[in-house]
Amino acid sequence: MEAQITTTATAPRFQEFWRVFRRNYMGLVGFIMLVVAIFVALFAPALSPYDPSSTLNVTTSDIYNPPSAAHWLGTDDAGQDVLTNFIFGARVSLTIGFFAAFISLVIGGVLGIIAGFYGGRTEELIMRFTDIMLVIPDLPLMMVVIALTKPSIFNIILVIGLLYWTTTARMVRSQTLAVKSRKFVLRARAIGSGKRHIIRRHILPLVLPILVVQAVLVVSSAVLAESTLSFLGLGDPTALSWGQMLNYAFGRGAMSTGAWWALVVPGFGIVWVVLGLTLLGQGLEQVLNPRLDTHHLMPGRPVVRNEANEDAEKPTGKSPLLEVRNLSIHYINEGSPPARAVENISFNLREGELIGLVGESGCGKTTLMLSLLRLLPSAGQIVNGRVIFNGRDLTALTEDELNSVRWSGISIVFQGAMNALNPVRTVGEQIAEAIIKHLPDFPRESLSARVVELLDLVGIAADHKDHFPHQYSGGMRQRAMIAMALACNPQVIIADEPTTALDVMIQAQILELLDKLRKKLGLAIVFVTHDLGVVAEMCDKVLVMYGGVTAEYADVDVIYNNPKHPYTQELLKAFPDLTKPKKKLSSIPGYPPRLDALPAGCRFAPRCPAAFNRCHTEQPSLHKLGDGHIASCHLVEASK
Amino acid sequence: MSADNFLEVRGLKKYFDVGRPTWFSGESRSLHAVDGVDFTLRHSEVIALVGESGCGKSTLALLLMGLEDPTAGTVTFEGRDITHLDDHQRKDLRRKIQMVFQDPYESLNPTQNIEEIVTEPLAVHGIANTPDRDERVKKAMEDAGLKPAEVYLKRYPHELSGGQRQRVVIAAALVLEPEIILADEPVSMLDVSIRAEIINLLAELRITRQIAVIFITHDLGSVGFFADRVAVMYLGRIVEIGTMLEVLEKPQHPYTKALISVIPVPNPRLRHERIILQGETPNPIDIPSGCRFHPRCPVAFATCKVSDPPFVTLSKTHQAACLLLVK
Repeated sequence: MEAQITTTATAPRFQEFWRVFRRNYMGLVGFIMLVVAIFVALFAPALSPYDPSSTLNVTTSDIYNPPSAAHWLGTDDAGQDVLTNFIFGARVSLTIGFFAAFISLVIGGVLGIIAGFYGGRTEELIMRFTDIMLVIPDLPLMMVVIALTKPSIFNIILVIGLLYWTTTARMVRSQTLAVKSRKFVLRARAIGSGKRHIIRRHILPLVLPILVVQAVLVVSSAVLAESTLSFLGLGDPTALSWGQMLNYAFGRGAMSTGAWWALVVPGFGIVWVVLGLTLLGQGLEQVLNPRLDTHHLMPGRPVVRNEANEDAEKPTGKSPLLEVRNLSIHYINEGSPPARAVENISFNLREGELIGLVGESGCGKTTLMLSLLRLLPSAGQIVNGRVIFNGRDLTALTEDELNSVRWSGISIVFQGAMNALNPVRTVGEQIAEAIIKHLPDFPRESLSARVVELLDLVGIAADHKDHFPHQYSGGMRQRAMIAMALACNPQVIIADEPTTALDVMIQAQILELLDKLRKKLGLAIVFVTHDLGVVAEMCDKVLVMYGGVTAEYADVDVIYNNPKHPYTQELLKAFPDLTKPKKKLSSIPGYPPRLDALPAGCRFAPRCPAAFNRCHTEQPSLHKLGDGHIASCHLVEASK
Repeated sequence: MSADNFLEVRGLKKYFDVGRPTWFSGESRSLHAVDGVDFTLRHSEVIALVGESGCGKSTLALLLMGLEDPTAGTVTFEGRDITHLDDHQRKDLRRKIQMVFQDPYESLNPTQNIEEIVTEPLAVHGIANTPDRDERVKKAMEDAGLKPAEVYLKRYPHELSGGQRQRVVIAAALVLEPEIILADEPVSMLDVSIRAEIINLLAELRITRQIAVIFITHDLGSVGFFADRVAVMYLGRIVEIGTMLEVLEKPQHPYTKALISVIPVPNPRLRHERIILQGETPNPIDIPSGCRFHPRCPVAFATCKVSDPPFVTLSKTHQAACLLLVK
């Protein structure tokens, strides 16, 4: 069944990396700058106009000559061609930079991994040693060491390498700690892997990206350090690095003779390499450590509605509290077809009603839910339909007008209460903040009483107000999230998988709480879940979504006792029924479709046990079966 | 009952130090994660360990795997005491007892492809260079439902769905041809529609490969059809153990009754009275006196506060620890 997935050639990791890196201009510019510098250093003899070792034919008239046709960048204090020295200087500077960086990375990497992996006394010892190294000022120490030993290239590499590993060690240690606590390391131990195997196969590959970024930054520090040392006269007198060029020019009257070229040219070399490496390092960090993705705080796309598609049907009788009409949402990515995440969804919700929004992961439930308050990520766009709340069309409001509805009219209880609470502030403060943010005029003196009242509403004792989230259990955090959602007396609460990560008993407690709240406060609730069993307990209506479209929409009793859509039927069969414990569970083979590669016909057809030819070619329309029961299936039409 | 000595757990305890005596307080506190667990597992038997988080079921799994060292008690496997083994002695044993973890998104190394992941256990045990290696890897993958294996070999975990990843974890366990699989909440992170797939797979393996399964879960509903026996844990102890039908249809311990009552029934016409226990499992540092369940028990009486209930035998296979059952 899973063989349907065709063998798409998996791009090797490097190609994948290159594909992303290519679009990172900062990193790419830095990379090119570095390549140019390395190229110059490698092919120095071919590129330079003169032989750097020839001191023949130099006369006093050759000293500090300005740029000319014979010497494009002028001559230096010894009458030598600055361009030639500059090109050969790249060799010295880069060699020192790379070798010193290599030494420091090996030391820092090894110490960091050992400290992070073994912990305990070993870690204590290494990290305290690192701290000591870190507080010793590098430059004076380097000067002393070099002054005491012979200032040769070898010594300079060694000293820089032995002093510049502290940052690397600390970063590698913290990454090792993070990787070590991941489950796949525990699994490797359960298999029987030894410590060395775990470090080599599981820790190192995940520490490597940090090492790569760090390598680039350390090379630039090393180049700078070498230049500084040379400039101070502690460089290798036999090797002419850029720093050494500066040293000679500065010490031998380039300033007083106005020979700017003798100073600017080597300075340019240093700036070029350090800037290139810094850019490359930042670029690499962005690619290897992608934290800068678009998020919900970025402004969304405007609503572009296709009026022709609008359903002209008017609702009859008392208008509902929240009405979603023909809502469609596409994710728009440049250069690829839009992902039709939600298409033509309609439902309505009255005061005190609870609707279950049910479907597997990737069925567009979360997209639909976020779109109600226009909180979609920036690629998501409402392309059709209306969200009517209390008679106002939310899709037509401005951002400011919408802010008055957010939280005060409709609020959201997010999935994963652990991540949605700020760990460094007390729960009471966070609830108070939610009130102030949305009701700026709220009297400050009654704020504390309001927080206690909200906590009491969700069953948390007042003395827990000043506790931090980590002092709360999972169930209490979820209650706190509900209290926060109630902060501004909303009429509608959207609960996005509020019980998914919780134990059955806590899940039952939260469901009981939501049920109590809707009776007490007349709240309407949209309950998003993948678990049909949960909603059976308390929903009035159920909307079953599949691949972004309505599969079935009906009263709760109809969904469970007379489902018409094969997807609903299959979902029910997959659910363990304790009243028939011996029954084998059935599962729905395959997976929901990718939203950017939807099947031509019915979106469920590839997995449907009842599919026939027409299902693969033609999309079923929404068939009304009376009493508000809607199902989108060709079989329903046939049997009507 | 000769088969009884396959895996035998007696009086197993694990206490964690949570506060060493300090300058200011001489008190040392310990967390009683597992506090005296006894059970036996027979050849190719499926036993479900059920309880809320904090009941010690995951610590119990780590103890059985030798990933934590027990404070007291013994674990015997095929007549051999395996309670305290060093890494070297444990290594061969690991081939026979394998583990499947809760979170398939976390338990696979994102930098390894599927072939590397499934081959790794063979390499660790020094049997990766045998001529039948590829055959073994392929068979393990196909037995785990990754068919045909070739399609998946070069893929990376992030390219697979949650259900497929869990199958990869199972394949990496199967490749060593284990006799016991310890599955710690293997489906709780998956969609309901996929849970059935993984449970059916484990049920199949005990038939095709005669593998015994210890299935750890907080959801009694998911163990119904394939567990032979069910053990309900509360605060580090087993409070009721019996065959699946005994526990599900005739639960005797008030905790088991409550757990069963809150299992969602996918039919609104069968909405029923649920026994919702208030609060959460108490902190295992301060275990309540007497019966450890009494503060949350809806039917507790005075004696429960002082007297720790013994196990009461209800049938040859069914036992529960509740004072109401003591005659």
